[in-house]
Amino acid sequence: MAVEIRVPRLGWSMEEGTFLGWLKQEGEAVKSGDVLYELEGEKATQEIESLDVGVLRIPANAPVPGSVVAVGALLGYLVSDGEAIPDTSPTRERGEADTNPTRERGRALHETTNPESRASNPESVTLNPERGGAPALADASGYMDRVIASPRARRVATELGVDWTRLKGSGRNGRVRERDVRAATATDGTRSTFSPRRRVIADRMLASQRQTASVTLTTRADATQLVRLREQFKASKTPTIVPSYADIIAKLAVTVLRQYPHMASRWDGDRLIEPTMTDDLAIGIAVDTDGGLLVPVIPQVSRLSVRQVAERSRELIEKARAGKLSTAEMQGGVFTITNLGAYGIDAFTPIINVPETAILGLGAIRREPVVIERDQIVIRDLITLSLTFDHRVTDGAPAARFLQTIRAAIEDAAVWLLN
Amino acid sequence: MTNNTNSQTKLALYRRMQIIRLTEEELARCHQRGLVLGACHTYVGEEAIAPSVCAHLGPDDPVFSTHRGHGHALAKGAHPRELMAELFGRETGLSRGRGGSMHLFSPEIGMMGTSGIVGPCILQACGGGYSSKLMQTGRVAVAFFGDGASNNGAFHEGLNMAAIWKLPVLFICENNQFATEIPFAYASGNPSVGNRGSAYGIPGFELDGNDALTIHRVAGEAVARARAGDGPTLIECKTYRTRAHAEGMGDFGYRTREDVDAWKLRCPIARLRQQLIADGSATEVELDAIDAEVKSLVEESRRFAEGSAWPSANDATRHVYCEQPSPPRSPIRNVIPAPSSETREITYTQATHEALSEEMAKNPRIFVMGEGIGVRGGNFKTTAGLFDIYGPVRLCDTPICERGFVGLACGAAMTGTRPVIDFMFADFVMDSVGEIVNQIAKMQYMSSGRLKMPVLLRGCIGIGHSAATHHSGSYYAMYGQVPGLRVVVPSNPFDAKGLLKRALNCDDPVLFLEHRELLTVKGTVPTEEYEIEFGKASVVRTGRDVTVVALARMVQQTLSVCEELERDGISVEVVDPRTVLPLDVETILKSVAKTGRLLIVDEPPASCGFAGEIAAQVAAHGFNDLDAPIYRLNGAFAPTPYSPPLEGAVVPSPQAIAKTIRELMEE
Ligand SMILES: Cc1ncc(C[n+]2csc(CCOP(=O)(O)OP(=O)(O)O)c2C)c(N)n1
Ligand SMILES: [Mg+2]
Repeated sequence: MAVEIRVPRLGWSMEEGTFLGWLKQEGEAVKSGDVLYELEGEKATQEIESLDVGVLRIPANAPVPGSVVAVGALLGYLVSDGEAIPDTSPTRERGEADTNPTRERGRALHETTNPESRASNPESVTLNPERGGAPALADASGYMDRVIASPRARRVATELGVDWTRLKGSGRNGRVRERDVRAATATDGTRSTFSPRRRVIADRMLASQRQTASVTLTTRADATQLVRLREQFKASKTPTIVPSYADIIAKLAVTVLRQYPHMASRWDGDRLIEPTMTDDLAIGIAVDTDGGLLVPVIPQVSRLSVRQVAERSRELIEKARAGKLSTAEMQGGVFTITNLGAYGIDAFTPIINVPETAILGLGAIRREPVVIERDQIVIRDLITLSLTFDHRVTDGAPAARFLQTIRAAIEDAAVWLLN
Repeated sequence: MTNNTNSQTKLALYRRMQIIRLTEEELARCHQRGLVLGACHTYVGEEAIAPSVCAHLGPDDPVFSTHRGHGHALAKGAHPRELMAELFGRETGLSRGRGGSMHLFSPEIGMMGTSGIVGPCILQACGGGYSSKLMQTGRVAVAFFGDGASNNGAFHEGLNMAAIWKLPVLFICENNQFATEIPFAYASGNPSVGNRGSAYGIPGFELDGNDALTIHRVAGEAVARARAGDGPTLIECKTYRTRAHAEGMGDFGYRTREDVDAWKLRCPIARLRQQLIADGSATEVELDAIDAEVKSLVEESRRFAEGSAWPSANDATRHVYCEQPSPPRSPIRNVIPAPSSETREITYTQATHEALSEEMAKNPRIFVMGEGIGVRGGNFKTTAGLFDIYGPVRLCDTPICERGFVGLACGAAMTGTRPVIDFMFADFVMDSVGEIVNQIAKMQYMSSGRLKMPVLLRGCIGIGHSAATHHSGSYYAMYGQVPGLRVVVPSNPFDAKGLLKRALNCDDPVLFLEHRELLTVKGTVPTEEYEIEFGKASVVRTGRDVTVVALARMVQQTLSVCEELERDGISVEVVDPRTVLPLDVETILKSVAKTGRLLIVDEPPASCGFAGEIAAQVAAHGFNDLDAPIYRLNGAFAPTPYSPPLEGAVVPSPQAIAKTIRELMEE
């Protein structure tokens, strides 16, 4: 039976070597112990001895001297006299070593080796206790601006519904600790009345007060047409939604803002962006909810009918009250309307919904005697309008003209809406 | 012996040698084919030796071997199938795929293992001999080793121990004239190994290692002497390996082809063949028939090995520890009792002494070895009075050869007895770390769970009383790195007694480290016998605000400041893991979940240490419970100094502990 001559492994980690050439001729008789060929391994060149006896047969496509050969590659055969070379192709380079699972497993083990251990520097190890990796105060710039909390404080904050990012930490470097989170809740263990949502509102209000130069203008407008319009909706035979005053005024405001686009500008960082004529203007409507003030935004108001605005705002208000408003649904407004009329408030000083430029406050609509032409006294429905605007963006006179136009639009609502 | 048996024995010898030759040659081929995965040192040229010695042994006579061990395994009766399968990394291999060529185990037939480390087999054979002597089984242990090993300390320590205790051991040195490529003539001042026997007061022989019949005769006499209680024999067999040191290695950088060819002509198998024909023991035809039968046996074995399944990767971490541990001999009791009529106040040393004497009374396989632990009763009174009861074999004073007697303990445990090594100081163990880490710890694993390793290694650790740096190390973190060990570090008499009793019934090797500053500390210990489980931490003090994990003396140091801190409103919980391996992470995590703060107080330096391990575990598994960074308070990164001001500065003091706890509370 033919004996295969294959490339041996010389040394533990050899995977391939260079076949330097035969030391026996094709067809020559080989005894056990004879040197057969030369192979260059990792460390040195070796003459490889035969363990077996036979006649050397070198297949035509066997590796030629000088070629790099994989361990296990077939070089030739020792056959008995007259025996033919077996039918195996010598290009089947490697033997069973290829299917050796231990090599693969070795690799897998490396990958799962735990990377968590970080060697400590022995020189830094002294009797001083090691602090858990927090940077020293000296290079704490930037680090100090960020609120830090212990993992445990974060966990407890989540459990108690406390926003730890707002807390002042009592730990080293101001780290918020569990006790700070617990102190932020009432001592009897109930939840803090200062909810995370309240905290967001507070932040925004404060930011608005700090960042804008706000001025509030008030005026009164005759809302008789508005009231009548709503009556008509109410009395309509076709079942329909009845728009709120804010809905109707939102629709009117969009028309007026087209004439005063700077009142619809928004801050984007340092830049003030004024809407173009083709931009769709979105109007925010302030909504009072259990959790506090929310301002859903009605997009594309100019494209919607009053009824559609009403439908859309009703939907958003319900979502807001149910706490289901998405962040997207509160973004992108250019102007906000806020209504305290239902509480009998007339004039107030609304706070601009940054980064917008102005906000319109609606007061209560009251039936009042009004002196008209020829000193006639009539009864009208009057509304107080409070416009807060950012004096950085525009001045008192243009803002007043804007408010005047709003008033005109309210007083002549039917015409403005239909135009 | 009749002529008939004689020739049968010779034929068996011939067959065994031929099995070795043909198996080795087949393995060489398989190595070239890539079937043999790791190193492969063949026995070709040396086949006369092992079969001639093993012919006198029964399956209960233990053999301990080296890296060149295929021939020893086959001579002891291992089937070539299992040998080949092991080298191919298969499930059916001698060591079930965990060992390979240099870790061949078949304890069922007394093949106690080959070793990738040159030397330890000599000491392990002494252990096999010691077991035989202690249990009076009449067994004879054999060590096979090379000329290279004869210049290793294990040789000198082993031969000396075997000599003084008259152990039934054969030391068979296979002098093939090279250790890898280093000629024996260069490496040894004395050209003979055999005549070194007289240096230790034992018989020594220098034989032609290619002459099977002579070796057979001399080994037979040596075995008979050993069985008769007349002690050990050293036999040097001068031989030659006619293949390279290991398959794939070059062979002619250090010797010539002519040398090798000349030795091939002195083939031990051909020689025996001629002798058998000459003395009429066999005919050519009979011997040819044996050759053919062996050839097909080897071929069948290779096919079997090649066709065998690979072991399952899921089992890679099995057998690190004993899978069927012996049950406790006393009730388990993990929690320290309050003082009562059923307890006493005794010292740490009294507690461990009670544990040892109670268990020695129950278990005749327990013996203690150490320096001065016999008549003297131990440097720390660990064995006081026991010598009078149990005598010199069970309380065995040793020469100062730590490596030697730890290696002996390994071999003793492998052969069924339960050695207790009493080191005095754990620092002295450093001389035997190779035996602990490479042999004792890995033995159960390498043998795929077929050997148990009930070795107890005990000694003092700890800084204090100007012990200075060779009598104060702790080292448990180092041992904590070693799979297969149990590492126990008790902090009080209750724990010390219960854990030592567990250790004396445990089938895994245990390092039992006793802090010297605690030896005279008193504590509450039950009157009844009990054991404490390994891997159960003890909550030594309950508290609210901060968890301190500590071992040994650091537990006591921490406890000493807890009242003061309590007065300042800081409530400290102290957790003592008691065992470093296995480590009870769960109890620590539970405590940190409560307190949110963790300090680990640890006497040795911090680098790569026990405190770091706990910190990593808690950071990984208790991250969300942490209200502050994890602190470590460790000893300084320095050897232990002598002078009190220096010594005090390298070890955590109660003041430092209190200060660190206060700082941690500020985090
Ligand atoms: C303690 C130790 N040191 C070094 C080695 C590397 N090594 C493996 S075999 C060997 C030579 C051993 O020579 P010898 O004892 O004569 O045995 P031989 O190989 O000749 O049979 C060496 C140095 C080892 N395995 N163990
Ligand atoms: Mg040698």
